[in-house]
Amino acid sequence: MTGPDPILIFDAVSKHFGGLAVIEDLSFSVRRGSCTGLIGPNGAGKTTVFNLITGVYPIDTGRILLDGVDIARIPSRRRIHHGVARNFQNIRLMPHLSALENILIGQHCRNSGFLGVLQPVNLIPGNRWREEARAALAEAGLAQIENATVGSLPYGLQKRIELLRALMAQPRLLLLDEPAAGLNPAETDALREDITAICRDRGITLLVVEHDMHFVDALCSEVVVLNFGRKIAEGSPDRVREDALVREAYLGTAAAEQTHA
Amino acid sequence: MLGSIYAIVGVALTLSIGVLKFLNFSIPGLFMIGGMTTWVLIRHGAPWPIAALSALAVGAAASLVVERFTWRWMRTAQEFVPLVSSMAFLILFENLAVAFWGSELQSVPQLFGTSDWRIANLVISIPQLVGLLCSVAMIWGLSAFLTRTRLGRGLRTIAEDSNTALLLGVDVNRIVPLVFVISGLFAALAGVLFALNYRQVHPFMGEALGLKGISAMVVGGMGNIWGAIVGGLIIGLAEAFSIRYFGADFVDISVYGLLLLILIVRPTGLFGDARTGARA
Amino acid sequence: MSGYLEGVLVLLAINIVYAYAAFLPIAAGQLNLGIAGFAVIGGYFSAFVSNQLAVSPLLAIPLGGAVAGLVGLAVAVPVLRTRGIYLALATFALGEMVRAGILNLEVVGGAAGYPVTAFIRLPTIALFTLGVVGLVWLLFSTRFGIAITAVHDDERVADLMGLNVRAFQVAAFTMGSAIAGIGGGLYAHHFSYIEAQYFSISLSISIVLYVLFGGTQSVLGPLLGATVFTLLPELLRGSAQWRYVIFAAILIVVMVVRPQGLVTGTQIRRLLGLRSEFDRKEQAT
Repeated sequence: MTGPDPILIFDAVSKHFGGLAVIEDLSFSVRRGSCTGLIGPNGAGKTTVFNLITGVYPIDTGRILLDGVDIARIPSRRRIHHGVARNFQNIRLMPHLSALENILIGQHCRNSGFLGVLQPVNLIPGNRWREEARAALAEAGLAQIENATVGSLPYGLQKRIELLRALMAQPRLLLLDEPAAGLNPAETDALREDITAICRDRGITLLVVEHDMHFVDALCSEVVVLNFGRKIAEGSPDRVREDALVREAYLGTAAAEQTHA
Repeated sequence: MLGSIYAIVGVALTLSIGVLKFLNFSIPGLFMIGGMTTWVLIRHGAPWPIAALSALAVGAAASLVVERFTWRWMRTAQEFVPLVSSMAFLILFENLAVAFWGSELQSVPQLFGTSDWRIANLVISIPQLVGLLCSVAMIWGLSAFLTRTRLGRGLRTIAEDSNTALLLGVDVNRIVPLVFVISGLFAALAGVLFALNYRQVHPFMGEALGLKGISAMVVGGMGNIWGAIVGGLIIGLAEAFSIRYFGADFVDISVYGLLLLILIVRPTGLFGDARTGARA
Repeated sequence: MSGYLEGVLVLLAINIVYAYAAFLPIAAGQLNLGIAGFAVIGGYFSAFVSNQLAVSPLLAIPLGGAVAGLVGLAVAVPVLRTRGIYLALATFALGEMVRAGILNLEVVGGAAGYPVTAFIRLPTIALFTLGVVGLVWLLFSTRFGIAITAVHDDERVADLMGLNVRAFQVAAFTMGSAIAGIGGGLYAHHFSYIEAQYFSISLSISIVLYVLFGGTQSVLGPLLGATVFTLLPELLRGSAQWRYVIFAAILIVVMVVRPQGLVTGTQIRRLLGLRSEFDRKEQAT
């Protein structure tokens, strides 16, 4: 089950909401430096996996090891310090802050002491942290919107700012929840190239939830397939596509029987 | 007796919190409107039942005006906005009353003669008894309405989750004004009872009483009607006890201390439902 | 300067201080309805110190603020466990309790009020007000200000980004309480007399109204709100109750047509010439 050099190991994790099991005895691992897809039908528990890794919900049983440290025992606030950052399926930027300030929030975990909090980032133009955030915006071609209040920006721009915010934390493991949702094919391709380059250059491991299978095929070297909170398959995208259980989960039982016949 | 007036104000507040998640600070103002209207009409020679009924009607109408300017805008607004607007309504109502009738303490004429029943040593005043019976009847009626009728059930669905209620075909825009009418009625009823029993009204009578009503609601658990009633009685008793044992000066310390303690130790109140974790 | 003008300006300066006391917790997403209670603590404590120990008001007033801040800290920790409306109610109960307590404290005159010997005039008060406004403005140009807004906008995400949400909330609440205490001290030392009845829930509510009217998203909001609501009634000649009626009516209308308050962060950035390309485009369309 555990491949060579895993950065993240899910070890027999379960999560129930009331009587409903959303994640049931789930074990999988993510290889360091890989780009792993987490796929499955709606309601399979993909976003819940992200929420368990980042600590939005506590797990019921099991372990979540990030580089050997059981982060499930660490308060959610401290987990980003261990190198895991994420975006959100429905963008969650701080609507009253400017684009630049949202990105500054991403630096917080690297600069969180008393003196860090009192950094006059908006007062002294040449402040190191402020310049770093501005450079990141400029690099992404967003320099002209740095002072726009994000609540008023269009969806696509907000998505890019959210990605920049996560990268500002300099994570080892980046969790992306449907990064391509709502983008047109050209934007999707551009995003894929950006993500590939960023992860390669900075040595970030990527775990991505995505519905667009073309995107997953092109981006991910490995995928884990969930259905009803359980792992039903894992491996390369090609191999997983041939898996009977996966076809059944995606296409329904009837279609699966047809292909068997 | 004062405890039961707290309880009725508490019911008005708790209905708004429970169904709309809205702490309606205009309710103390509506209480005052109920009391002042009763006094004005009686002074102009209206018989007391007419005065009382008109006061209820005025209270309900004023509450509808509040609805138009507060809750209507809640969905788009920042969280504190309806709360603030309802506070502004309290200020508006109080000062309109001062502008029209002056800020003096006004006394309502004695209406019922010496109509006390004496049973052994116990003195029961008839207006108090009638008032108590009226309020018990109205609260019972409200409770039956909430559990037995279709409209009442719709109302409780909104309390659980207004989006689900919308999906289930509950007409939220029709029901919300109804909530305001009912809470306006209860606030005004408390005002009428206060005017008839204590025979004194003034434009700022709502503040102290409204604050006690809020305490009653919190002690009983926000959103819980019977909780508000028990809470009102507890606050009334706490007052009576602190007057008796510590003196009148300590009433506010003990009542607000009790409120603070409950908010810290058990914010959902004695009978509260954890789900009605209301936001401002 | 005429006595009338000085009186109005003193009131303005003190109201601005109160407005910032309410603004700090509101900026972090909490409603403090007990501002008057903290003001009364600061007012009485500083008056007591300057009366009894003959300490200069310049020292006594910040000391009063510090004590109010300490009380704020002591209650913030348990009270901030409650959320939303519960927090607003808890602060309200606290304010009323403090007031009732002081009414019964004979050492500071009880219900009769407490005379203050030391006297400060407009320039001193204006300096204190400038100091408070300057400090809050400085604070909000640091990472702290951004973090406070982030906590206000989305507690969950702020937590996941590594922000200690509760620490920021407690800090904002405590600093607000201390500022309220300074406001109370200024009041006591100017009017030479302090009386707990004055610091009622109505005062707390009015202060919160200033802030919401002015706007909660920018540091200039409270300044503007307090100024409008102190000067407007002076301009509206007429009886006191009609002034209040107009005040309330204006407030209700503003909340309906402009719930975010008069000034917002976006506008401030535009004023400072930081208008972005996008804002310009948005305006054009």
